[in-house]
Amino acid sequence: MLLKKSKGYKQVISWLKEQRKKPFKFQTDAWQYYAEGYSGLVNAPTGFGKTFSLFLAVVIEELNHRETDKTINSKTISRQKNAGLKLLWITPLRSLAKDLARAMREVCTELELDWHIGVRNGDTPQNEKLKQKKQMPEVLIITPESMHLLLAQKDTSAYFDGLQCIVADEWHELMGSKRGVMAELAISRIRELAVSKHPEKLLRIWGISATIGNLEQALDVLVPYPELLKTIVVADVEKKILIRSILPDHIDMLPWAGHLGHKLAHKLLPIIWKNKTTLIFCNTRGQAELWYQNLLKLDENLAGQLAIHHGSIDYELRNWIEDAIHTGILKAVISTSSLDLGVDFKPVDTVVQIGSPKGVARFLQRAGRSGHSPNEVSKIYFLPTHALELVEAAAIKEAAKTQNIESREPVVMAFDVLIQYMITLATGDGFDDQKLYKEIKSTHAFRELEPAEWAWMMQFITTGGDSLTAYTEFSKVEKENGLWKVKSRQLAMRHRLHIGTIVSDAMLKVKYLTGGYVGMVEESFISKMKPGNSFTLAGRVLEYIMIKEMTILVRKSKLKTAISPSWLGGRLSLTANLGAILRHKYNQALDKTHEDEELDIILPLFERQAKVSHVPKDDEFLIELIKTRDGYHFFAYPFEGRQVHEIMAALIAYRLSKVKPISFSIAMNDYGFELLSEQPIPLDEENCKLLFSPVNLGEDIVASINATEMARRKFRDIACISGLVFQGYPGKYVANRHLQASSTLFFNVFSDYDKHNLLLRQAYDEAFYQQIEEPRLAAALHRIQKSKIIIVRPDSYTPLCFPIKVDSLRENMSTEELGERIARMTAEADGKELKTHRRKKNEH
Amino acid sequence: MNINCRGENLILSEERAIYWATKKMLIISDLHLGKGAHFRKAGIQIPSLVNTADLDRLTNLLRQFEPECLLVTGDMFHHQMNSEVALFSQWRSQYPDLKIILVKGNHDSLLASDYEEMMIEIHAIEFLMKPFRFIHDQPSVTDAYYNITGHIHPGVTIYGKARQQIKLPCFYFGKTCAILPAFSVFTGLSKIKSQQGDQFYAITPERIFLV
Repeated sequence: MLLKKSKGYKQVISWLKEQRKKPFKFQTDAWQYYAEGYSGLVNAPTGFGKTFSLFLAVVIEELNHRETDKTINSKTISRQKNAGLKLLWITPLRSLAKDLARAMREVCTELELDWHIGVRNGDTPQNEKLKQKKQMPEVLIITPESMHLLLAQKDTSAYFDGLQCIVADEWHELMGSKRGVMAELAISRIRELAVSKHPEKLLRIWGISATIGNLEQALDVLVPYPELLKTIVVADVEKKILIRSILPDHIDMLPWAGHLGHKLAHKLLPIIWKNKTTLIFCNTRGQAELWYQNLLKLDENLAGQLAIHHGSIDYELRNWIEDAIHTGILKAVISTSSLDLGVDFKPVDTVVQIGSPKGVARFLQRAGRSGHSPNEVSKIYFLPTHALELVEAAAIKEAAKTQNIESREPVVMAFDVLIQYMITLATGDGFDDQKLYKEIKSTHAFRELEPAEWAWMMQFITTGGDSLTAYTEFSKVEKENGLWKVKSRQLAMRHRLHIGTIVSDAMLKVKYLTGGYVGMVEESFISKMKPGNSFTLAGRVLEYIMIKEMTILVRKSKLKTAISPSWLGGRLSLTANLGAILRHKYNQALDKTHEDEELDIILPLFERQAKVSHVPKDDEFLIELIKTRDGYHFFAYPFEGRQVHEIMAALIAYRLSKVKPISFSIAMNDYGFELLSEQPIPLDEENCKLLFSPVNLGEDIVASINATEMARRKFRDIACISGLVFQGYPGKYVANRHLQASSTLFFNVFSDYDKHNLLLRQAYDEAFYQQIEEPRLAAALHRIQKSKIIIVRPDSYTPLCFPIKVDSLRENMSTEELGERIARMTAEADGKELKTHRRKKNEH
Repeated sequence: MNINCRGENLILSEERAIYWATKKMLIISDLHLGKGAHFRKAGIQIPSLVNTADLDRLTNLLRQFEPECLLVTGDMFHHQMNSEVALFSQWRSQYPDLKIILVKGNHDSLLASDYEEMMIEIHAIEFLMKPFRFIHDQPSVTDAYYNITGHIHPGVTIYGKARQQIKLPCFYFGKTCAILPAFSVFTGLSKIKSQQGDQFYAITPERIFLV
């Protein structure tokens, strides 16, 4: 069929013309492929109409379809109305749904298409959901969790009779997480429901993804079905991104270590005032709160025009902020990853990244939040928080230029998600275990699922576990008319409440005495506070009054500043891509073979490093051995990110302790790691390569780290997702205390009494592949073997080792003392220069 | 491990029990019988071996000390009658000469007839035997009696080099009150704030040691 000749295509083109728009080539390509029955993946920069590349494809088909119908039967329009769901649009973020729906509705109105666009997620009111149940809208925008909730209801199969396409938006974001697995499973189910009823119909599956290193694999994960034609549509348009660093006037303005970056805050003010709206990204929520206070202190004119946005701020407040960005009344918004994705904020023309973004993809994603229209330029400023981050700025620029972007590893064999999903189906219409096994095996996440593992899963949800250990009185999923179902209403209700894979700590809602929610903080934070103490949240200073019914009551405090809660959350680790470019940049800095202004600024620091120690080149591996009052320090610099360093440090410590009995304390950052001992470390040029050898790696890892402890930590999420531990929703009280037990307890009980438990195995697997990253560690060791090893013995801390040294202090000390200690240590390192300074004074 | 408490010699067993030799009395707390079955009924998978393991440990203790009386300071049964409680009932019938005394805890909610059937002597609030008061939770007023309680499942954290830490169940002996570890392996631990003069006896599978 020639799409361009079709009525629907012409209609869409002429509508676009009225808007003075012309479709991009990747859009018409996508329309063409869609019309030909392909599934696939669209990859385009933000702001070029990725949504329309697929939404309009479905619309065109509908318009054409009606055209042919009209010629046959003029009454079809009313019949069409009841055809139900045609397009299922999966988004990872709730906040995206509203704006997507708005944009789609506009198109439908303009094209005089009588489609309903529905939204279904945690924020959708109950009456709206009921309405949808009676009459599904033609387009439904939904989150993976809500898809599963839909499947957990009775009589859902009929919803998908007329379904033509499933679109997974921001697929790169979903794929690397367990939510991606949820999406994969739900798609496999819906596909089966649609195909088994109407085998003649074609259900297409499309994804939309930003650029990642493994697009092909991303497509394979989303569309693993061999009978579907599939393709990748890559936009040939290029988004222009302008990356600027906020540079200190002199390198001494920047501390050697730190993570706040307040020293350069004043340089941010002119940027905020010069531009329309600026988004300021921080890496942690605590950091965001501190920056909010700090910017207001620096410039009082910002009051009322500065807002703060992060995941712990109350939903309504966030909504208000998002609306305020749309209307352009805010000059700047400080945010965390909560605004990484999502809605196009038209007034945003500038983005600022504070501190290392740790990865190229994340940085570009954030840059894309500004200058959203096709021909605009995305502008992003990088504000380093300590001196060495200047090199990272240069590295990021290079990576952005060469499009050296990380891959996202899809999650596989997540038994916890599978168990949750099986019970979800049993709560809904029930399932046939033979059929379901085939269905699940067709997904990417579970293509390796063995029959024995499946049998275990079935046993786990029906009889309670391994047949070797009798589980009496267990009844969760039972067989009824050939289908496995959850019969207990109470169990079903509890399960519906906890569908999802995002596990958070016990959070308490924060509310004003006079009414109005502010946000949420962790229970552990508030337990350390006494009534009358103050803390900051959502940029407000609040006085803690009391806890009542799982809600923290507060009033506005008269204080100007107060401590901000530190939300737990994994520290991000430098990606391998960025690490490699970083090593390269170290090369260039001293050689002056570069055009980076950042490297010019940092040159004095590098010269100093070269003087007291050495600046490692690409093909070199630097080790610094320093003796101080604290003991003997061993610093090594693989530049592989904190996570790899943690394991590598433990590995080297273990191997050293085999040489002679010795104990270490370990510290690391993204650049290197430190081993500290009270006795001399038995390392020299001779045994060095042997220590970093990749031989016997697996065994030595197991011997050197506490794998059980790591698995235990991983088990926390697994226990929640698989339904062993019921958390309840944030702020809601868990009613049945008789059923409470911690994930640690489950871990111990299973370890002792149910060794075959697959959830236990999953915990160890996750620890090895996600936490330990064995492949990456092995690659790093191989690289080190090929490098020239340089061991230096400086007299005091060097610019390179200093941030590691400071980081190791951070865990036990409060910020204030840390500041003092840093000052003292800098003074120690500066000692020599201070002495010469003093001598000069005497001469005068 | 032998300790002296208010002039009485008490043996602390690594199986989370106290043996009071002069009275031939074995004292345990927080047995939580039937907890696993209660969880399973609610659709949460707990291996039933947990329950059998608890009972086996109790059997071994009876063999080791040959007590005349078993005293449980509360939370002997987790919730209500179920198959694991029935299993205990069977176990009970093997020891017709053993006297069992239960000071009721917050979890013990079986029917009076159930206790009677299993030949368990019930004390609703406390059980006094000089110089001790056996009671489930620490009373707010103190008197001449030294309180021996359970309820909170005490645990103690031991810190090692290189930020290593390990949490162990423990016996707690304070000024006016001692707290027994929970007997059941299917129980969590809660840390207690220590005051001066408090003693913690941490329990490892092999031995007991003073922290």
